[in-house]
Amino acid sequence: MTGSTRASAPAGRAGGKSGAKTAGRRVQTRRAGAPDRSATPAAQATACYVYGVLPGDVEVTPEGSGVAGGEIRLVRHGELAALVSELRLSRPLGRPDDLIAHQRLLDDVAAEVPVLPMRFGAVLDGTESVARELLAPHHDEFRAALDDLEGRAQFVVKARYREDAVLREVLAEHPEAARLREQIRGLPEDASWDARIRLGEIINQAIEAKRDADTRALAEGLAPHAVAVVIREPTHEEDAAHLAILVDDERRQEFEEALEDFGRDWAERITLRLIGPQAPYDFVVTGR
Amino acid sequence: MTIVQPSAGGAAGRPSSSGGGLADVIDTILDKGLVIDAYVSVSLVGIELLTINARVVVASVDTYLRFAQAVNRLDLSEQQKGLPEVMQDMTQGVAKGKTKGVAQGALEAAGDKLREFAAGEEDEEPVPRRRRRSREEY
Repeated sequence: MTGSTRASAPAGRAGGKSGAKTAGRRVQTRRAGAPDRSATPAAQATACYVYGVLPGDVEVTPEGSGVAGGEIRLVRHGELAALVSELRLSRPLGRPDDLIAHQRLLDDVAAEVPVLPMRFGAVLDGTESVARELLAPHHDEFRAALDDLEGRAQFVVKARYREDAVLREVLAEHPEAARLREQIRGLPEDASWDARIRLGEIINQAIEAKRDADTRALAEGLAPHAVAVVIREPTHEEDAAHLAILVDDERRQEFEEALEDFGRDWAERITLRLIGPQAPYDFVVTGR
Repeated sequence: MTIVQPSAGGAAGRPSSSGGGLADVIDTILDKGLVIDAYVSVSLVGIELLTINARVVVASVDTYLRFAQAVNRLDLSEQQKGLPEVMQDMTQGVAKGKTKGVAQGALEAAGDKLREFAAGEEDEEPVPRRRRRSREEY
């Protein structure tokens, strides 16, 4: 799953917001991993899977496939286009391939043009409904949001404590933890149950406090180089931070350098991962 | 999958951009993004969504016992060691030596893969998490 082989769209990014109006930007979609199941009887009921909303001046090269192998296409209305593919209704959604196809397509598109990503699982009864009910009533709102996102991309930063290092910190900072550690030493689990529970609880609380502090430090340290920062929920008990960050394209290097500084400072205790650029999943908000 | 950390020489590894594994995909697209229900009411189609377990951190007795065990195994330098412990430390030392630097990234990535496969099997279970009723009314 590399991002280095980005689809090479024939037309580059239009510079600035005014450029968004000039036609001719093409988005080439990479083949998604989902097997092609389109060779099924046409008699089956189909619907329209919606990935996201793009500016209307975009072309999609129809060579990629989307969720469940459906062919990617655009539904246009005014200055908007919805990225969709056909979907058989009889097939349940949510297999790993489906999820990956959804994000991969959006991330590929986002590398070229602004996009408002939908949450996974948005399905309408047909392309006409997409234009009439999704695009038309919210045209200006979506158009303004796309203008805001022009030239910006989302990154996710995941920070994870190195277990030995963080445990040493906790033992050094919490005498009771160090004492309990001595107490359970050499004892089987059932002979030291209460002490182990208490010890684990102290460690867990201590790591939570560290996570709060380190998350704040990272968010505050990256914020000057970003458009916005969202603090995500941890996904592991040893997470040190989990952030989504919206970055201006021209400030991407400066953002990555700021992150590298943290990587250096934290090398002994925290491992950092940078994921992206990707579509701005965390920075589109459903108003109503 | 990028690890930002200094190599042995002290220079920070450059974070190159990359996509994440399935776990990262799940964290991102299941509860982020525009909710179409908020924009469309008539032509929404109910479709069966498979159960997908997003990772949520809930502290439990298991978590506490795991932490206690991890800290119990921790090698503190001032600790007096019996022979079995020394041997354990040696094997750990070897493992650590192997996982330094870039290789560690690969190993962690492999770990992610394993979780992906585990998650994948779960995801294949045809258990509907929720079934939205079709609201086609015309």
